[in-house]
Amino acid sequence: MSKYNNFFGDYGGRYVPEVLRLPLAELEAAYVEAIEDPAFMAEFKTFQTDFIGRPTPLLHAVNAGKALGGADIYIKLEGLANTGAHKINNAAGQALLAKRMGKTRVIAETGAGQHGVATASACARLGLECVIYMGTEDIRRQRPNVYWMELFGAEVRPVASGSATLKDAVNEAFRDWTSSYKNTHYLLGSALGPSPFPDMVREFQSVIGNEVKQQADFKIDAMVACVGGGSNAIGFFSPFIDLSGPRLIGAEAGGRGPGPGNNAVRMDASAKTGIVQGYKSRFLLDDDGQVLPTHSISAGLDYPGIGPQLAELGRTGRVEFVSVTDGEALAALKFFAATEGIIFAMESAHAGAAAMSIAKELGPGKKIIINMSGRGDKDIFISAAAFDGKNWKTFLLEESGRIND
Amino acid sequence: MTELNTKAGTKLITHFIAGYPDIESSYETAVGLINGGAYALEMQIPFSDPSADGPVIELACRRALEKGFKVSDGFRLIERIKEYRDIPVYLMSYSGIVYNMGIDRFTAKAAAAGVCGLIIPDLIPGADEGLYAAGRKAGIQIVPVVVPGVPDSRLEEIMAENPDWVYLALRAGITGSYTILDEVNLGFLDKVKTYGVKIMAGFGIKTPQQIKTLIPHCDAAIAGSFIVDRITSSYNDAAGRISVTEAAADAVRYLLG
Ligand SMILES: Cc1ncc(COP(=O)(O)O)c(C=O)c1O
Repeated sequence: MSKYNNFFGDYGGRYVPEVLRLPLAELEAAYVEAIEDPAFMAEFKTFQTDFIGRPTPLLHAVNAGKALGGADIYIKLEGLANTGAHKINNAAGQALLAKRMGKTRVIAETGAGQHGVATASACARLGLECVIYMGTEDIRRQRPNVYWMELFGAEVRPVASGSATLKDAVNEAFRDWTSSYKNTHYLLGSALGPSPFPDMVREFQSVIGNEVKQQADFKIDAMVACVGGGSNAIGFFSPFIDLSGPRLIGAEAGGRGPGPGNNAVRMDASAKTGIVQGYKSRFLLDDDGQVLPTHSISAGLDYPGIGPQLAELGRTGRVEFVSVTDGEALAALKFFAATEGIIFAMESAHAGAAAMSIAKELGPGKKIIINMSGRGDKDIFISAAAFDGKNWKTFLLEESGRIND
Repeated sequence: MTELNTKAGTKLITHFIAGYPDIESSYETAVGLINGGAYALEMQIPFSDPSADGPVIELACRRALEKGFKVSDGFRLIERIKEYRDIPVYLMSYSGIVYNMGIDRFTAKAAAAGVCGLIIPDLIPGADEGLYAAGRKAGIQIVPVVVPGVPDSRLEEIMAENPDWVYLALRAGITGSYTILDEVNLGFLDKVKTYGVKIMAGFGIKTPQQIKTLIPHCDAAIAGSFIVDRITSSYNDAAGRISVTEAAADAVRYLLG
């Protein structure tokens, strides 16, 4: 696979106003040059080793496999990457690139807050000014991450427009960039948006898959990742895409179940091809092409579009897609905590849940790898409320009283 | 129509949002803009994710969609406006809306409704999904948007599409905030003018003084957020002091000085 494709079949491209044509062309040139420059890649490698803590482990989840009685389960522990999720891989790559381009300011959108935290952290290390756009609904859902971003010195700007979630934060970041691009890099957090973002984000995330290739001393039968915009999935799948195996499986947010506004499933018949946020892909749209509201228990999967390369790989059948409901994700979170002592991020728990049924379907002797894209610390307010609502509420009330004192 | 709709030779193109504050009020807005002396109308079809627009227009689009605005309502609105007065109507929207209907179909429908030109800022020459060809086929103009800072080589590419009019956004950024007119944007206007195209110039136009400064350098000035703001105030005024039609007409008269 080429490092810069622009289009993936019919999907991808760069559908932006004239004002963004120049900054994107400049970014494309800088990316294409840097990714082939041994000096840049060495700098990136050092950042990965010293700060991110790479390679992240590939864990044989023996207990989980036994409990399910199907295929052997392995977990790629991206949640052990510094700042708690795979998002730092891309944030570090792009922040280094921004610096190389002479930019002094970085802006980013965030949903779950993991990309915001990763970006804020990388900017703190590299001395870049940092502004994070975050929907007010996501600020509520993922409050702990807001504090970490601010601790890293970033300014978190609440976005109340539209549905006040991830897609609206993307719009707001683009609005900022149209007047700030001279000194500002827009550090987009998933494998979507106008080119070169989908290619660039995949390359910076491909370290996940490349490590798995090294670490797995066995034949992999299936690989499973959750898919919001698709950055952890495409990075994890990347070195295997051009091969005929293993099976590559993406888990989308099934939310409350079928029906408009209840989920964020883009890879079944409820979505269609559209152009939104600068790229052509599959989106959840109404009959006029207006973007529909979405729902997921996980802020990071609560997005109406899917990265163009995954949309194309879904069309060709190389990547299979399944959907996982809020309830199934919560059950998977509980299962892996109990069997393996690991807390999945709510997003990653969707991959966990998908893997639980695929493991049974594949049966004993087969091997399956889950990408645990992040760890679940950030979700404490969601998981505690779901698992132990009454006690958690009592605790919060007591604790808030203590703060007032 | 030219003299009837212009005052002292100043051509003002007025931007308004179809379906905002509701469908009937947006028709009344158009009538007011015409009565006030607008040279042409630029009607925006609301899109859920208007990423080139500032807060005023973003909110207006959102409100229109919350009230159930459909693209077909927009075409009907244009037909009604054209019945009221045969004034040039430009239709502005985003790629998401146009692509969803099919570029050819959208363009043909716009032409049939009486639209004279389409302004689709995120379908630019070279990545237009066939919009410019569709415009030629349907016999309506496609109006490219350019901004100061676009390099000469790119201007050449855009001009190769042979546009009648060019929409010149007077600064980078989104719609809304006030634009200072200086050598940079006025100089850019003069440069674009050398291509022999007609220029409509806007973004952050809120005062008659700005328009006086602008007019010697272009063919028409565009006002958008300023008008939407005026409509919002009139519509939200519980005392109902002036109708939306009057508010729109007043806004145009004020800008024309
Ligand atoms: C832990 C984690 N996993 C997955 C995602 C979804 O993004 P993507 O599909 O780009 O990996 C997010 C996004 O916030 C996340 O925080």
